[in-house]
Order: sequence, then C-alpha cells, then structure tokens
Amino acid sequence: MLVDIATMAQGDFPEPMTGLTLMHYLMTSGLLFALGLVGFVTRRNLIIMFLCTELMFQAAGIALIAFSRFHLNHTGETFVIFVLTIAAAEAALALALVVLLFRRKETLDASSWAELRG
Amino acid sequence: MEAISNPILLYGACALVGVGIGVALPRKGRNPQVLGALVAAVGLGGLFLWAGIASQGALPNYHFYLFSAIALGGGLRMITHPRPVYAALYFILTILASSGLYVILSAEFMAFALIIVYAGAILITYLFVLMLSTQAPTEEETDALSPYDRFAREPGAATFVGFILIAGLTSLMVTGAPGLDSASAGAAETREGYLERLPGKVERAMQRTEGEDGEMLIARSDEVVSVDASDRTALVRNTDGAERTVPLPADLSLRNVEGVGFELLYAKPGAIEIAGIILLMAMLGAVVLARKKVEMDEEAKLAMAGGDA
Repeated sequence: MLVDIATMAQGDFPEPMTGLTLMHYLMTSGLLFALGLVGFVTRRNLIIMFLCTELMFQAAGIALIAFSRFHLNHTGETFVIFVLTIAAAEAALALALVVLLFRRKETLDASSWAELRG
Repeated sequence: MEAISNPILLYGACALVGVGIGVALPRKGRNPQVLGALVAAVGLGGLFLWAGIASQGALPNYHFYLFSAIALGGGLRMITHPRPVYAALYFILTILASSGLYVILSAEFMAFALIIVYAGAILITYLFVLMLSTQAPTEEETDALSPYDRFAREPGAATFVGFILIAGLTSLMVTGAPGLDSASAGAAETREGYLERLPGKVERAMQRTEGEDGEMLIARSDEVVSVDASDRTALVRNTDGAERTVPLPADLSLRNVEGVGFELLYAKPGAIEIAGIILLMAMLGAVVLARKKVEMDEEAKLAMAGGDA
C-alpha cells in the first residue's frame, strides 16, 4: 500500500529523484511543526515564542516545497515566497511589540502580561 | 498482523519523542536535558525507521536523512535551550538544514532565498532584539538567567498535546496518502509551454548543442523567430532571411528559477504586489510601534537652535 506513495513523480531536472517519498518529507515537516507547537506552548520568553512560530512556518515551507515537487509545478514554491513575506512582516511587527512591552515592565515573561486577557 | 504492528511501532516512537522532549524541557531542580534529548532522538530515529520500512523498495537518499536529522535536532535544541540567543542560533541551524532539504527537492531558488531572508535578515533582527532586551548573565551558570527562561510552562501537558497531534498526522499519512494522485501531465505541459516565451534561451541552447552530424544545431548568426513547445521545434531565420524548422535539443527544459519567475510574474502577477504591500505595512507598523519619544529639555533645544544659526 505504501509503496504506491513511493512511486513519486519523476522529474526531469536535475535528475530523477531516487527513492525519496513524499511521506518522508511530510514526516519531517510534521515533526518540525509539532516541535514548534510544543515550544510555543511551553516556553515563557516572548521572543522564544515568536521563534517557535517561525519554526512552524519553516515546517509548512518544507511541506509546500515537497508538494510542489510532487506535482511538478512551481505553485508551492511561489507560495513559500509568501510564507517568507509573512514571516518577515511578523518578525518586524511582533518584535516591535516585544520591545514596547519590554520597555513597560522590563521583563519578557509572557505571563507577566496575563492581565491583557479579556 | 502488519495493520496492528505498524501503528503500535508508530505510536510507540511518537510517545518516545514526547517523553524525551518533556524531560529535555527546562524545569526546576534537576535538569536531565541530555537524557531527554537522547530519548527524543531515539524516538525520532524510530519514526524514520518506521517510514523507511513502510516504503520498502524505495531506498531513501541518505542526504535526506542527514538534513532531516540536523533540522529536527536543531529544532529540539531550540525549544529546550534555556538561553534565548543559543535558541536563535540553533534555529539558524534548522534553517540551513531545511534549505538543504529544498535543494534535494530541486528548489534551488527557494533554498537560497531561505538562507538570505531567514538566516540573513529575520534571525539577525531576532538576535538584535534579544540583545536589546535580555539582561545577559555574566556567569556560566544558568541560575543567573531570568526565571522565565529557566522553567518551562506545563511541559507535560504541552508535549502530550503536541505528540497526539504528530501521532494523528503520521497515522493519517498511512491511511490517507495512497489516495493522492501523482503529478498530472498537464502541469508538465504548462511548464514546457513557457519555453515559447523564451526564444533567446532556446537560441543560446541550440547554438551550443551538437546535432547528429557533429555540427551545432544552428549557427551563431542564426536567429530563433518562434518556438513551438508542443512538437518541440523552433523556427530559425539565418542572415539571408531564409526560414527553416529545427527540432529543439532533447535536454532543453525550464530551470527552477525560470519556472518560479514565470509562475510568480506571469501566472499570478498580482500576488507579488500584495506581498510588497504587506511588507510595506509591516515596516510602517514596526517604525510607528517601536518609535521612542525623545525627551529634550529647554537647554538642549536652545543649544540645537544655536548650532543651526
């Protein structure tokens, strides 16, 4: 059953992929995403929490590129450009917010801002 | 039998990874991080072993395992390292390894864009903010770090939830993935169709490719008028104005960068503008948010005015 997945599309450039399956890439991507999720939930430093979202972006990027290769078109790759764009925009805005919060309380602890919950 | 043993092996490996990460997360008191990392590594190895066994007949490329191991190891160390700057550096390691994965998938353009944009720009921003907002302890002991870096929040529950997620995802890969169709022929046709818009590339390739008679396909002075990608021929005009049809070289195809460029600027022309606007708004927002009002007393204002006059 799984050997069917293994007969992944053979591309023409630069050489046919020998024996790499889509599943391997999806597994790496899924594990990276889970690591990012665990990090986001457990770490208490605001900056590390944003770094963990970047790890999740990265996992999504690997899955997109793998699917792009699987379907032999470039749509997935162009979408990764938008992942990079969003990551850059998020880094700029989130870090500006973190700097603001740090100026107020001199701490990066996420739970010190618990009063912000509605 | 296989239907029972495979999920047990899979969930066992997932549980091992979860336990390992739970142990490796920073916590109060004794901190067996190395032990936890080892357990997690064994679990990850088990998962990939399971994937290898499940797709027998297709021996995997060892580069893939190398880069995956570096990426996952970097990610694991990143979420467990108590020092934020080291966590950012381990994330750069993950970025480099995943750009290696991109190269294996023949996405060279995105691999380099990833290194330049992520490792070069975004992570440097992170490092600067870390340096601006962390009171760095001078001693080697982690006791000098802020408490919010030393203790994780709810490590047990979080890793449990995270690896319920990964176990679900991986078991869906077993049951759901065979329904996927591999590449459609239409996609490859569109890719080749873009060759019709690149007569200059075709001309250069034909001038450098030898035909069956040992001569180059077309002379240096010849000019490619148009390309027909469906029957792989090109209309060539020589200096006298005479036109003839020449078959394309067999190995001529669209490169990765050309493909991404066509997809981005020809097939989806509006998208790149939207990305530009998002970046512009983010830049403006960051400037407005992080701006600090400079307090100036009367003397300083007078001094400045005097300097100008």
